[in-house]
Amino acid sequence: MSFVTGKHIQRRTFLRGVGAAIALPWLDSMRPALAAPSAGAPPVRIAFAYIPNGVILSDWKPSAEGRAYEFTRILKPLEPHREVFSVLTGLDHRNANALGDGGGDHARAGACFLTGVHPKKTSGADIHVGISADQIAALEIGKQTRFPSLELGCDDSRVVGGCDSGYSCAYTNSISWRTPTTPMPPEINPRVVFERLFGSEDLNLDPATRARRAANRKSVLDLVQDDTVQLTGKLGVADRRKIDEYLTAVREIEKRIESAEKDNRQVHPGIEKPSGIPATFDEYLTLMFDLQLAAFRTDLTRISTIVLGREGSRRVYPEIGVPDPHHPLSHHRNLPDPIEKLTKINTYHVQILASYLQKLKTTQDGDGTLLDHTLFVYASAISNGNTHTHEDLPVVLAGRGNGSVTPGRHIVYPKGTPMTNLYMTMLDQAGVRPEFIGDSNGKLDGLSV
Amino acid sequence: MKTIPILLAAAVTSLAAAPPPDDFATKLKPFLANNCLTCHSAALKTADIDLQRYSKTSDVTGDPATWDKVVEMLKTNQMPPKGAPHPPEADVKAAVAWVETAFERAEQAAPPNPGRVTARRLNRTEYNNTVRDLLGVTLRPADDFPEDDSGYGFDNIGDVLSLSPVLMEKYLSSAEKISRAAIFGPDEVKPAGERFQPPGRRGAPPKSATDYDETGLSLGSALHVNYHFPVDGEYVFRATCDGRRPGVGGADMAFWLDGKLLGVKHIEANDLEGQTREVRVPVTTGEHLVSATFYKVFERLPASFGGLNPVEPPAAPAGGRGGRGGRGGGGAALPPKPPANATPEELAQYQRQLARVQATAPQRAPGGGIQPPAGKVDFLFIWGPFDQPKGPSPDSVKKIFTCGSPDAALTPACRNKILTDLASRAYRRPATAREVGELAHLMDTAEARGNSFKDSLALSIQAILVSPNFLFRVERQPETPAPGNSRIGQYELASRLSYFIWASMPDTELMRCAAQQTLRNPAVLQAQVMRMLKDPKAHALVEDFGGQWLETRGLESAKPDARKFGEFDDYLRLLMRRETEMFLENIMREDRSIVDILNGKYTFVNERLAKFYGIPGVTGEEFRKVELTGTPRGGVWTQGSVLTVSSYATRTSPVLRGKWILENLLNEPPPPPPPNVPTLDDSKVGQSVSLRQQLEAHRKDAVCASCHSRMDPLGLGLENFDAVGAWRAQDGKIPIDASGTLPDGRTFTGPDGLREVLTARSDAFAECVVDKMLTYALGRGLERYDKRTVRDIARKAAANHYRFSSVVLEIVKSLPFEMRQAEQAKAQAKL
Repeated sequence: MSFVTGKHIQRRTFLRGVGAAIALPWLDSMRPALAAPSAGAPPVRIAFAYIPNGVILSDWKPSAEGRAYEFTRILKPLEPHREVFSVLTGLDHRNANALGDGGGDHARAGACFLTGVHPKKTSGADIHVGISADQIAALEIGKQTRFPSLELGCDDSRVVGGCDSGYSCAYTNSISWRTPTTPMPPEINPRVVFERLFGSEDLNLDPATRARRAANRKSVLDLVQDDTVQLTGKLGVADRRKIDEYLTAVREIEKRIESAEKDNRQVHPGIEKPSGIPATFDEYLTLMFDLQLAAFRTDLTRISTIVLGREGSRRVYPEIGVPDPHHPLSHHRNLPDPIEKLTKINTYHVQILASYLQKLKTTQDGDGTLLDHTLFVYASAISNGNTHTHEDLPVVLAGRGNGSVTPGRHIVYPKGTPMTNLYMTMLDQAGVRPEFIGDSNGKLDGLSV
Repeated sequence: MKTIPILLAAAVTSLAAAPPPDDFATKLKPFLANNCLTCHSAALKTADIDLQRYSKTSDVTGDPATWDKVVEMLKTNQMPPKGAPHPPEADVKAAVAWVETAFERAEQAAPPNPGRVTARRLNRTEYNNTVRDLLGVTLRPADDFPEDDSGYGFDNIGDVLSLSPVLMEKYLSSAEKISRAAIFGPDEVKPAGERFQPPGRRGAPPKSATDYDETGLSLGSALHVNYHFPVDGEYVFRATCDGRRPGVGGADMAFWLDGKLLGVKHIEANDLEGQTREVRVPVTTGEHLVSATFYKVFERLPASFGGLNPVEPPAAPAGGRGGRGGRGGGGAALPPKPPANATPEELAQYQRQLARVQATAPQRAPGGGIQPPAGKVDFLFIWGPFDQPKGPSPDSVKKIFTCGSPDAALTPACRNKILTDLASRAYRRPATAREVGELAHLMDTAEARGNSFKDSLALSIQAILVSPNFLFRVERQPETPAPGNSRIGQYELASRLSYFIWASMPDTELMRCAAQQTLRNPAVLQAQVMRMLKDPKAHALVEDFGGQWLETRGLESAKPDARKFGEFDDYLRLLMRRETEMFLENIMREDRSIVDILNGKYTFVNERLAKFYGIPGVTGEEFRKVELTGTPRGGVWTQGSVLTVSSYATRTSPVLRGKWILENLLNEPPPPPPPNVPTLDDSKVGQSVSLRQQLEAHRKDAVCASCHSRMDPLGLGLENFDAVGAWRAQDGKIPIDASGTLPDGRTFTGPDGLREVLTARSDAFAECVVDKMLTYALGRGLERYDKRTVRDIARKAAANHYRFSSVVLEIVKSLPFEMRQAEQAKAQAKL
């Protein structure tokens, strides 16, 4: 028999429109009033894409430095776009090392990637890491868009049983952290992402009704905040922390409702509404990239993360001839067969990335392209998956970041340069200047010449 | 109120009895001095461990964190490290035993500690269920919420569940949707259609024309779609076929929903290309498996196919068709292949003759079995919803309008009653006057703003659904907090009960008992627990507790390699899941012993699953109970669900399976592996080297062996079950050797031998179940001070043959379930 899961669809043939409030075509002149930090200059978009289980460094790292580097096997699909990205090598995440905590490199890698912090080893209570770079940025510039940030993921496998070696599953499930204790789990269903971004029925209503609905929501939020005050007096310390998390989230929503009221234009997504999770990884990741692009293009958000697979991912890739689960392959023991399969997987990922860069390169954004105004990191917090090494990480930095970086090079950094320095530089370009991020010790030089 | 004084008395008594003499100095100190202090002294403090600072037993038992590590290092032979002189094994064992006994004694002597549970927000399952029971709304909005983080194996642990702004956004929008659905009915969803086409065909060919899957669900001709139905309503399933049907009997197409037959439609034709049939059926919200198959595909064919109910075409004109062959085998001779320069007419002639021959005889499939006649479902079209129920469901109306009616104006008193009843049920305790007043005020303000009365009522429901009192199960401090333990309130107990057994809110009867303050009365408590276990909602215990404890929830994400395990498809996946659920549910409903989970010689299968397992004599697609005597299966660990989730996509893993048994059946989890462990060479497995031989490397190194000698033999005993649970005598070229040697030297062979080994440890199994179920029931990880509670519960349940209801009841009556530790005390307690 043959089976297609509607959750995993092969072909989508839409015969009737399904639901989204798409009305007006998007016109360039409809730029939102809140757009740019300075008049005229389009806002910088910041994006991070995470790949799990490391890479085969000899298939990734070019040997030559500078402009004239040769394309290795995994990076080869990016060759047509060589002028819009750089390969950075030598960066590390030293806080993903054990540092006395024993096993758990996958959990630590995922948790450390955007935070630069060594996560507390616990399987349940009292998880603690740090605020991730994307959320540090979102806290400041997120107010300017309808959605402060967008967390996406392509790992739709169910988490069952324990996670990595005594670390809570919260560390592997999310790379984005709002606070050291509040993870921001990624959205893995494209349909749900679309509905969230573009499905607001409110925009179909007349202004009076819309205003009434917004006022209604505000009353509801006022009431529950009052409920919370009544409640907190009677709680123990641990309970209060949970309720505080709730309260923080409520206040955040209030702010979003307010900013949504100011930004009330109708947006045209530019893509059809997905019905669910596609059957092949290729389609799945492409769809998620498309959603991210649509969100950037319509300025619904300027910050986004996308997880290609959770650390320790066991995804199989039969469509490229790799039916074996990813994670065991990454423990290749220097044997040729798993090494070959691992490189196939990573090359497959990069092929899909290349298509995305093509789209970013050709999407109009103000006076340039979206890629001109984006800083996009595609990386992992593990370099050698066999030995769980967290230095000499595989990193691609794409986009021109409004002219702040000069792409097209292979830049080699001295051993011991924190990855978090890269984030400091990226955030700086967006006008966000924290004192430090995790283990950073300054900004990263050499990105622009 | 009687329990506290008795417990205190017991504690006092045991303390008053002469404590054992402190033999730290004679029993443990010399061992440390001779083997550990070289590095772990006060001066050197290697790895931050100073073993010199302990001078008496209470020093040791006051530092469980360090000594847990010490015991683990000694047990796994990681300490003393390689290169350092190793003490005799007997000394190490004695030292470990001393430490463990010291801790046990200290735990026994400590005052009883019920622990504290942190406020738990409703997880996705609980949210969906609660909304259903509170308002009669079956939309299941939480299916779109981000996945809940889990801890200690479960997704209902208070400390682990977090609330991100995205989740809050979803709570708010789903509250809006639910409240409007409850008052006005669900939003109308415009009918939409989707067409599905298979990405590839699977399914092993049937063995013969009389021994095959009549439903067609597992044949290559079928098409299955896992579809998310957005709302209750009627949906059309339309299937289009292709291929040929020999003879004149026509074909029958069957439609299925979640493996249950919806209807059979006849196709009277030979040429199936473009033939379309459909059914229109009511479907509930959520994910369902839709299937279209060829039904009884070997029937109503010419007799030469050897199927049942043959239908012969009318007599052929003389010299026309090729001769008919005998049953099941011969047929006319194939026409000679046309030469390379054949004309189009000659080619067409060849095709016609070939088709005629194929029309009269079954085709052998490469690799054995026979091909069913060449019909297949090419497209499946799902279109809907139609005839969506309009307006609120009668259930919603009944639950909301506890006075008055939705169509007439409400008196202020009635409106107040409605708000009071709703809030009280939603907050799981009587709503305060202030809370009701606020909701009424919300409604007044909304109406003043121009909202209709019903809109305002929906708004107040929306507010209730995002209130922290609804989203969180909070257990309040007593009004006058006292040191020591306190009992949780009646309403809090009702909530704990209902979320434990039903994963949903307390019902009217439970709330009534709480209001009358009788829930703690032993007779009442027992009666309620028994009633709740009989309620259909208790299925949550099987699905949520069972699915997480046994890790079978992972079945939905399993992707076994299609080339190696062609038989595994979404339909088989559904059947395996159903088998385990029915098995557990049967134990619960018939109140059987939980030890059946370990070694019960029966299970639940239908024809397809029975064939997969090699169990003869089962026909039809309904599930029924079968005895497993005479087969190697018996016990949940021999079911396809468990065997699949404890394997990799391409092969079995004795290590994963051994670990699964240790963790989930015996509660003796192996510690995590040390860093830098390589995996084995997959390409050789089954070809030149058996998996067993490759795993031998585990036994060579003492550090590896310390854990692997416990895990590997258990998994090796299961090697006859392949990575999707089918029985096999060979792995590739290598015959299976399913013998195992346990660390204590005992040996066993195969699943039957393993079953004996496990049965001998039934008491440990029972304690394991208690441990897991108590974690799930409390919503917190268990600590050292819970150990004796677990033993206690197991002992009491043993007195009643470990019946399911006894386990549940003893958990409900246990100290941590009924009481809570005072906050100040938590900081001091170490054990």
